[in-house]
Amino acid sequence: MDRRAFLTTVAAGWVVDAVLPRREALAGRIIGASHGVGHLVRDGGVPEPSGPPDHADVVIVGAGIAGLSAAWRLAPAGLDVHVLELEPFPGGTSTWSEDGAAPHPWGAHYLAAPNPEARAALRLLEEMGVVKGWDAAGRPRFDPRVLCHAPQERIFYRGAWHPGLVPQDELDARDRAEMERFSRFEDELTERVGADGKPVFQIPLALSSRDPDTLALDRISMRAWLDREGYSSPFLRWYVRYACLDDFGAEPEDVSAWAALHYFAGRKLKTPELDGSHFLVWPEGNGRLVKALFERSRAAVSLGALVTGVRTIEGGRVEVRWLDLRDRTPRRTHARAVVVAAPAFVTSRLFPPAAARLPVRTSSPWVVANMHVERPIDPDMAWDSVLYDAAGLGYVDARHQFTELSSRTVLTYYRAYGGPDVVGARKSLVVAPWEQIASDVLRDLAPAHPELREQISRMDVCVWGHAMPRPRPGFLGERPFEPLVLLEERVAWAHADQPGMALFEESQASGVRAAEAVAPALGIELGPTWL
Amino acid sequence: MSQPLRRWVHPALLAMVAVIATSGLVYELVTGTLASYVLGDSVTQFSLVIGLYLFAMGIGSYLSKFLEDRLLERFVEIELCLALAGGLSAPLLFKVYTAAAAFRFALYGVVVLIGTLVGLEIPLLIRLLQFSVDLKELVARVLTLDYVGALIASLLFPSLLLPKLGVHQTSLFFGLLNAAVAMLATFLFPLDRAVTIRLRAQCLLIFGVLAAAFGFVSRFVDRAETVYFGAPIIYTAQSPYQRVVITRSPRTTRLFLNGNLQFSSDDEQRYHEVLVHPAVAALGHDPKSVLVLGGGDGLAARELLRYPSIERIVLVDLDAAVTDAFRTLPVALELNGGSLNDPRVTVRNEDAYKFLEDSHDSFDLAIVDFPDPSNYAVGKLYTDAFYHLLRERLSFRGVAVVQATSPQYARESFWTIVQTLEGAGWKTAPLHVYVPSFGDWGFVLAGGEHLTAPGALRIEPTKLRWLESSGLPELFRFPRDTGRVEAPVNRLNDQKLVAIYAREWGVFTR
Repeated sequence: MDRRAFLTTVAAGWVVDAVLPRREALAGRIIGASHGVGHLVRDGGVPEPSGPPDHADVVIVGAGIAGLSAAWRLAPAGLDVHVLELEPFPGGTSTWSEDGAAPHPWGAHYLAAPNPEARAALRLLEEMGVVKGWDAAGRPRFDPRVLCHAPQERIFYRGAWHPGLVPQDELDARDRAEMERFSRFEDELTERVGADGKPVFQIPLALSSRDPDTLALDRISMRAWLDREGYSSPFLRWYVRYACLDDFGAEPEDVSAWAALHYFAGRKLKTPELDGSHFLVWPEGNGRLVKALFERSRAAVSLGALVTGVRTIEGGRVEVRWLDLRDRTPRRTHARAVVVAAPAFVTSRLFPPAAARLPVRTSSPWVVANMHVERPIDPDMAWDSVLYDAAGLGYVDARHQFTELSSRTVLTYYRAYGGPDVVGARKSLVVAPWEQIASDVLRDLAPAHPELREQISRMDVCVWGHAMPRPRPGFLGERPFEPLVLLEERVAWAHADQPGMALFEESQASGVRAAEAVAPALGIELGPTWL
Repeated sequence: MSQPLRRWVHPALLAMVAVIATSGLVYELVTGTLASYVLGDSVTQFSLVIGLYLFAMGIGSYLSKFLEDRLLERFVEIELCLALAGGLSAPLLFKVYTAAAAFRFALYGVVVLIGTLVGLEIPLLIRLLQFSVDLKELVARVLTLDYVGALIASLLFPSLLLPKLGVHQTSLFFGLLNAAVAMLATFLFPLDRAVTIRLRAQCLLIFGVLAAAFGFVSRFVDRAETVYFGAPIIYTAQSPYQRVVITRSPRTTRLFLNGNLQFSSDDEQRYHEVLVHPAVAALGHDPKSVLVLGGGDGLAARELLRYPSIERIVLVDLDAAVTDAFRTLPVALELNGGSLNDPRVTVRNEDAYKFLEDSHDSFDLAIVDFPDPSNYAVGKLYTDAFYHLLRERLSFRGVAVVQATSPQYARESFWTIVQTLEGAGWKTAPLHVYVPSFGDWGFVLAGGEHLTAPGALRIEPTKLRWLESSGLPELFRFPRDTGRVEAPVNRLNDQKLVAIYAREWGVFTR
């Protein structure tokens, strides 16, 4: 072999490596929700606890936003509070990771500046220092570092990125006319007040108008509403669909028109400082809120604790049976009160006497992928990169609120499975191997980022079987805005399933409400409500 | 070609092989280097160049079988073609780079051409010698020298050739060597007299062309680069953040970041004197500690060091590629007087925003000299939130001065910066100066309630090159065409300034 042949052989490998996409294995794994153990409850098969019970003043089942908010509300009373969480991490779908170039979310990743009426949310934000003070009109002033830095969004529309969520210059006359019409309607609806003097859409939901004319919107789907109102432009249809998938994980035909319009018209806070963006954003998403609740709750939290049943026993006690997943030991804790901060379908299994009264919710599966990337610095990178007409919604950049530039970051990709067959989608996702999910994510992003495969060093994936309740038509029920809180004198329920919409403010309010509801049974004074 | 060669010919022949092998690899390295300079991504560029080059050599080796007769003539002609193509490759490619977008294709074309010619050499040489030397011996010697030549080239190129000659002169130098080999061949091998004369004439002609190019190469390259930077590049570095280019003509040194002029040594004194001295004068007492944000060229620091009262300067500039260049390059030290190496100056390469958030230090004076707000990342350093943080780092009667783009070309941008400083609770005193390289340029003095436009400098005007006390009031007077306009506050979550700036400078890049 002469020099030429030798070098050719060596260089050929090198050139092929440089020219063709790299084919070395992409690292990654599936993390997150413990489907297997969760289903133990559904399927039976957990041994009975033996031995003496533990004791606590209050047991809270679930360390998501609702459960931790209940613990946060109880903290001033100085009680012995024990939180039992199935997963090995706190926060539910607001959880996060700290590894890599920046902390990054695994689910909920922003909080729109809460309305002044969302008092519990603002109380927490003030404790965190995110609310810096109040203006003369009683409106909160936010730490500008937390409000989403410009530019907030960009959209990949027909082969190119455009700033903002609406590529104004690319739209045709009909798209533009309908977007303008919808936007005017949105503004009008935001200001509209019902016959009872309340805003037609409010956050918290419970403060919305009960005007029957508006509530009638809950009887039809958002898709039916669009048809009725004569909205047919493809872009507007996509825009509404994007909103429904983003907030509710469902297609417009499976979302109540009341809920969808609430998304567009529920935010009331208008101050000059919120002109650009009214989103509160942290690298780890709502993980920051979880941390804040966690630190302030002063409760004992057991992770990897699978609660198998809750029942009232003699002597004003409630027994919580649970399986310690670390050593597979069945245990029980006797408490003076219990807050079950779990989805309706779990709560009805844990506490069968309430099953008939709990609402029936459909929950949407989601896939969230965290991509650890290294790529050239883009000084104009947006926080949220939205994909038009793709399978997923797009991705957010975990380093967006950092002022320091870095070529390494973590991009969090979201995909909601919004079709009607949630059970089928969930089943196939739960058994899908990592390789399949990762290649689906890459394929979805390929039109916008053909080079992404070479820039990712690791892609971790989380499959949320039950990510959020779908506010389907009729979700407000027979008696709107009258949540089921006390299941029994000493057992309260808190969850986003209660209002039927997965908003931070709603989950938090439901936890606070549940804590306040069990106070009499505990014989404590919690003072004026935080709601 | 059947006559046996004389014994003494052999060492000269073998030297020829070594030169051919060395120059072959040098062309490969020259084009690879040029490609990675110009196109970036050096691994990809080197891989592509080497792969294409070797592949073209394969084509050349294959084509050699079609050359049947007059092999010696062909060999000399191939050497001459190679001398031209290889020798002129770097200067010509650079010319294409500044003139056309098709650089990539020109590059790969040149690589294939050179590779093909190099691929023809060795097979022809072996065939030329096969009847005079034992084949076993011939193949062993030729290929050994071929390898040795490659080693020599790969050792010389990075250590000696590139640093001393640069890519252009290196490629021309090896072109000359190839032409010399061709000439040598006409002496070593017996040929017809007429053919010998023709070939030698061609050798001389090409030798002359290459020698002239070698002599004129710096001027030639000057002309090509003038299209971009108006003067020869004397320093370039690519950092993760930007491309740093320093150019120098006989009179003038200029710094460019991402192609944007940062200063010209012709008139930078106007800019830096107005940036620094009115702020010191507005302070009302002798400054002791100064914070410089941006200003990695050390020119603002140079002005500050004229005050003996200053005990320490903390200079925060994101890019080590800039501060390193201005700490070490002779041309830079000439301009900034070695200010960045002064014991009173601490250079910190970090994000200015992060520095303000983390620092607990206190300063009398802050000089804020960032690039213009042409993107959202820089724009964060022009927000009310940033100015709030800055204020916390200043002492009670502290003063800041902010570089605020041109009130002439970007009037609303300038007054947006003023408005944003005021929105963050500062009192302001805007000023401007005519800098020929830039046009009318604006700055904003900012301080507490006590701030007023200064009436006199706190330094002997003889120590300065341009500014004098009597000129101060004029700096603070804005004529009607650059005077204040209504402007918004620039916020982190709503960087209106970036859009205004892009509109005013007519930059519609995205």
